[in-house]
Amino acid sequence: MTAPLSSPTAATTGPGPSARPGSRSAPPRPPGPAARPARGATGDRLRSLAPVLVPLAAVLGALAISTVLAVLAGATPAEAAAALWEGMVGTPYAIGSSVNVAAVLLLVATGFLVAHRAGLVNVGGEGQICLGAVGATAVGTMLPASVPAVLTLPLVLLVAALCGAAWGSIAAGLAVRRGVSEVITTLLLNFVGAAVLVLAVHEEALLRQPVTSSETLPQSAPLVEAAHLPLLGVPDSPATVAVVLALAAAAVASLVLRRTATGIRLAAVGQSRPAALRLGVPVDRLRFSALTTAGAGAGLAGGVLVASAPHVLDDGLSSGYGFSGLVVGLLARGSFTAAVGIATALGFLVSGGINLQLAAGVPASITQITESLIIIGVAGTAIWSVRRSRTRRRAAPRTALGSTATARTEVSS
Amino acid sequence: MMLTLTDLLVASIALAVPVLVAASGELVGERAGVLTMSVEGMMLTGAFAAVVGATSSGSALVGVACGALAGLLVGVLQAVLSVTLRADQIVTGIAANALALAGTTFGARLLLERGTEVPGFARVAVPVLSEIPVIGPVLFRQTGLAYALIATVVVLGVLTSRRTGWGLAVDAAGEDAASADRSGIAVLRVRFGAVLVVGLLSGLAGTQLALSEVHTFTDNMTAGVGYLAVVAVIAGSWRPVGVAVAALVFGLAQALQFTLPALGVDVPFALLVMLPYVLALLAVAGLVSHSRPPSGLTKPFVRLGRAT
Repeated sequence: MTAPLSSPTAATTGPGPSARPGSRSAPPRPPGPAARPARGATGDRLRSLAPVLVPLAAVLGALAISTVLAVLAGATPAEAAAALWEGMVGTPYAIGSSVNVAAVLLLVATGFLVAHRAGLVNVGGEGQICLGAVGATAVGTMLPASVPAVLTLPLVLLVAALCGAAWGSIAAGLAVRRGVSEVITTLLLNFVGAAVLVLAVHEEALLRQPVTSSETLPQSAPLVEAAHLPLLGVPDSPATVAVVLALAAAAVASLVLRRTATGIRLAAVGQSRPAALRLGVPVDRLRFSALTTAGAGAGLAGGVLVASAPHVLDDGLSSGYGFSGLVVGLLARGSFTAAVGIATALGFLVSGGINLQLAAGVPASITQITESLIIIGVAGTAIWSVRRSRTRRRAAPRTALGSTATARTEVSS
Repeated sequence: MMLTLTDLLVASIALAVPVLVAASGELVGERAGVLTMSVEGMMLTGAFAAVVGATSSGSALVGVACGALAGLLVGVLQAVLSVTLRADQIVTGIAANALALAGTTFGARLLLERGTEVPGFARVAVPVLSEIPVIGPVLFRQTGLAYALIATVVVLGVLTSRRTGWGLAVDAAGEDAASADRSGIAVLRVRFGAVLVVGLLSGLAGTQLALSEVHTFTDNMTAGVGYLAVVAVIAGSWRPVGVAVAALVFGLAQALQFTLPALGVDVPFALLVMLPYVLALLAVAGLVSHSRPPSGLTKPFVRLGRAT
């Protein structure tokens, strides 16, 4: 059993194992299947395909488990598939709402990818969406009539992005100034942000619609007509221009990250902070801006949500879009093209899941089960899929789905 | 005034116990070098399983066993991911929480009926001691499960203190895994076990919440308490007493939600809901304590070569 440890695979895992006692070439517990040998040429070819095959297997596994759960909930697989399909692409309405969800996810994911390039993980999409939505509602309901209609919608969305950015900047400031892990702070800010939204829609002094009877719902008044997102114009489809907005945001972000000096600097920060610092890169400022941008993306998504039908803010506004956007960002591994594809797939899955509940009686939370299983599957198998690509091409930030080395060893200062 | 202060303290302790139990498990995990973000999911799964077990068997004790087992199972999942597969601990932890939230919501639709009586634990007044003003009702009128869990926390604290071999092994695995490995400590086994402890205690914490306090299961009933437990460990500077104090503060902050409106103080409910999380933010921002996490926290250990 000594062969596995001296195989070429093991040798590529890094610089020489300084701590390894020579007499222990066959430790009692091998450190996981990663060190097993590749068997011949076929094995090598399989290994080079691993970055694609392993996540694919994870996705398929998650879908298989979800199918089993749907069956447990009393639907036959055929019924469930039919309901899912109907909800995804069955009607122009279904397609339109799926596209709208995809647009929101893409906006969150775009922000996530910008921060991720700098080695930061933004888990705070949910809270940033809430703040963006609150800001958008405040502008969209209270804007004086003298403001020209052309300016209303841009203003609403701008304020949404700014509010999300402000929320993100709290975590960004703490990360830069005090070295607090942005994962923990953005996570906690989600709870505070959700409470801010609840506060806003429950207090008449804030955004709640005037209470006229005991049946007045805790939600805001509808946004003024000029603040509504225009529809794309496809017949019977609720699809709004949000999808154009999201694609544009992703395209701009992609260009900036790939073709500008700022993009290169961000990547440098993501790769190694000490090295970037020595090269004269303003590390702190870039980290701060990257996480704030992530907040702006999610805040914009919140603005899009209130500016779409039914054009009111209520406390169920962001039902997990923050997490789904994070899923898109993580799975995209730095690629905006991939993010567009994955956001579309998840958007359709989410809409399909809602119909799964309506038509087949399977609880809609099954889509969240699928999403989280995919993340667990992909992140859990990173030792097989990420390492190989990392040794070959060091351009991707190390924080992908693999283990992070430096970025977040400090949980607190 | 005396009465309301007592009410506030009673509610604080009641809400602090789940945080304390989960946080003391998490403390062991973090000292061993594994950041377990899935405490929230373990608590929620524990609460769900406890309610399912208790209603289907009619016995609260069976419920406790189910809750503990469910927490342990999520612990196994997290340990395999964090320790064996060396996956990103934070990402998988948050994903496990999302899985637990969606899974229990899904399961509740299928397995639980609204309005069913859930066998739970009633408050037990310790004779004589519970008659002491203020302290009596606060400390000596908890449920049997709460007493048992506090005892468990104390025993765990003693067993993993720095005066025992286990405690030293846990610290060694978390501070310098390579040296611990060379000195003969089975680092991966210690870490795996530590995550299981997190799972077990978090499952019990969820059980306490469901069977002693709320007496039912509602979707997302932990609502972030698990994250408070993780923060309590940071705020408590990775020391048992500090963690216990932090858990009490979080309990107090949560208790204000229920006590202030009862006192007629007109504060928007949402402000009170966000209070524990604002405190938690201040705590992690280093405004409460300045201390160093275990050096190996979130760093996976591989015997061959360096940890990636």
